[in-house]
Amino acid sequence: MQGSYLEHQTEISAYIVLLCQFLRKKGYVIGPVEQVDAILALGGYNFNEEAKFILALQTVLAKNKQQYIHFKENYLEFKHQLKQASDSKVKTRKTPVKNRARQEQERFDALKSWLNLSKEKEIKETASFSGVEVLAKKEFTDLSDDEVRLIMRLLKKMALKAMRKKSRLKKLTKHRSKIDLKRTIRQSLRKGGDIQQLLYSEPKHKKLKLLLLCDVSKSMDLFSRFFIHLIYAFQNSYDKIETFVFSTALHRVSDILNGHDFENAFQSISDRVPQWSGGTTIGECLEDFVENYSYRYRYLDKKTIVLILSDGWDTGKPTNIQKAMHHIFKSSRKVIWLNPLAGNKNFSPEVLGMKSALPYIDELAPAHNLESLKKVLLLIGKRRKKIAGQF
Amino acid sequence: MENRRLLEIEQMLTSQGYIGDKSIAMSVYLAMQLEKPLLVEGPAGVGKTEIAKVMAKALDTNLIRLQCYEGLDSTHALYEWNYQHQLLYLKMQENNKVDITTAESTIFSDRFLLKRPVLQAITQKTQPVLLVDEIDRADEEFESFLLEVLSDWQVTIPEIGSIKAVQKPQIILTGNRTRELSEALRRRCLYLWIDYPEFEKELAIVKAKVPEADERLGQEICTFMKELRQLRLEKTPGISETLDWAKALAGMHLKHLNKEVVESTLGVVLKDWQDMRHTQDALSELLDKTGVVSRIG
Repeated sequence: MQGSYLEHQTEISAYIVLLCQFLRKKGYVIGPVEQVDAILALGGYNFNEEAKFILALQTVLAKNKQQYIHFKENYLEFKHQLKQASDSKVKTRKTPVKNRARQEQERFDALKSWLNLSKEKEIKETASFSGVEVLAKKEFTDLSDDEVRLIMRLLKKMALKAMRKKSRLKKLTKHRSKIDLKRTIRQSLRKGGDIQQLLYSEPKHKKLKLLLLCDVSKSMDLFSRFFIHLIYAFQNSYDKIETFVFSTALHRVSDILNGHDFENAFQSISDRVPQWSGGTTIGECLEDFVENYSYRYRYLDKKTIVLILSDGWDTGKPTNIQKAMHHIFKSSRKVIWLNPLAGNKNFSPEVLGMKSALPYIDELAPAHNLESLKKVLLLIGKRRKKIAGQF
Repeated sequence: MENRRLLEIEQMLTSQGYIGDKSIAMSVYLAMQLEKPLLVEGPAGVGKTEIAKVMAKALDTNLIRLQCYEGLDSTHALYEWNYQHQLLYLKMQENNKVDITTAESTIFSDRFLLKRPVLQAITQKTQPVLLVDEIDRADEEFESFLLEVLSDWQVTIPEIGSIKAVQKPQIILTGNRTRELSEALRRRCLYLWIDYPEFEKELAIVKAKVPEADERLGQEICTFMKELRQLRLEKTPGISETLDWAKALAGMHLKHLNKEVVESTLGVVLKDWQDMRHTQDALSELLDKTGVVSRIG
């Protein structure tokens, strides 16, 4: 193997294995077959140009447009990290569990202080257990760690329940649940009127299509924890759900949420979204969705309920939000905007981003406690009102 | 050695009139080297299908094309029994008192098997190029049919058994991303994304494919197309539209663009009424960016 780009590794296969490990964290689906392909692609080839070396790996390891386009920068990032690690002669270690826990606590405290805009001093939390009813009305800001965990479990249960909405239509079933007289008699008529077989039916499940667009910018930082947990519960309880997260760029994360446990899924999403906890350009992200996803993949149609989770703080142009929201509103069954600040009594949608989007929203709902989220789950099942926008 | 092979492939593509870049040559080289299918994605009209055609020509082999559409099933893609002939054969054998086992083995043999593109491709003696065009238009179920061919190079027919490929065909799959393809299919393929070409590449294509077009006209067309693609259109024009337009304008013996000509020939480039209206509104600005505005007056 020639070339200075491999100065930190002598064995090409070891280098590829390290690269694959790094890329997996970036969301690439790389198994042993792809690793072998990559080694074979480079094996025996006298790559004296780094560009060609990258190109060969790009062809073998990238499996979709995003990965193909961003492969080079991902590769260079890997190379940089590898160089740093070998230069300092210090093995890269995972963040100690203790540190991570402390970081989580710090982030959680940051959220609380951000949410307590009107409160001068945060009330010291206690580890005591509150009843579910009390918990439902308690703001997320006042929750203790045990209560956060309990809320997470409750949210999951609620989401599962909400998505199992039964239709008035019925379908035949082999389970001996409820006799379908109409179908039984109709079938007997075909056989001369004698009832030879009893037919059973059960209600059909309504096929609600849900599209979740979740803001993960700094102003929404820890709120997204709750939201993504909610999304996660939706995702695994129904298959017609698409999830996107955005801050300054839009990312589709449905594939991560599907089939992982929550902690891993959350970690993978954070890895995939480098702009996590950054600024927000809601308009541009929504436009990106409209342009690149809504038409092409048919994520948006008259069966789709769009759920946008954002506080509306936007650094982009308001016209972008208007254009994108107009399209989303026109092409969907219903648009629900969840804003954690809407739970505040003195709340009025004065933020520019929120104001621009308002004419194109069916429901603007708060999402500051368990009870408000429960209401949102009920809203999902209801039809669109004739006059859009309630503010 | 391999460096030379990569160069040969670059030359092979160029000799067939395909103006590509290094990424295309590398993908074709690796697909041939690793004997893996190549999944090519990109917007419409950027030359995805052309790769397979050029490969077949350059390798002097057959191109077998499977055009995908909604509702495409295994009987149209893999194989089908010739029922009419089977029935006719059985009818003719009625008087000969042939035993059931012999009759069965005869009617379920190669003689009554209608080979559809995929089966045709794997039973050819010389390595063909199989083009599975617009795979995203086929149903998800169809993708599952293809998986066996893409990974094991075989087709299983329940009545006969598995038919292994005589020569592994060179498979090129194309898609416009109208639907997301399954992870299983993607993992079995090498991947290539072709975007709209840069100005220089598009100009080179126009020069190669429409040599009769004036140099300046070619430049103006390519600049105009580059700017046009920046607009938010329902159907963004690809290279094929650029070539059609260049041919049309060269046929009219024009040396450069002007507003009237662009307005009257916009239908060659745009295929949607709303796109036409949108472009006409922004035409002055587009021509200004192309550098044509000074000649209008």
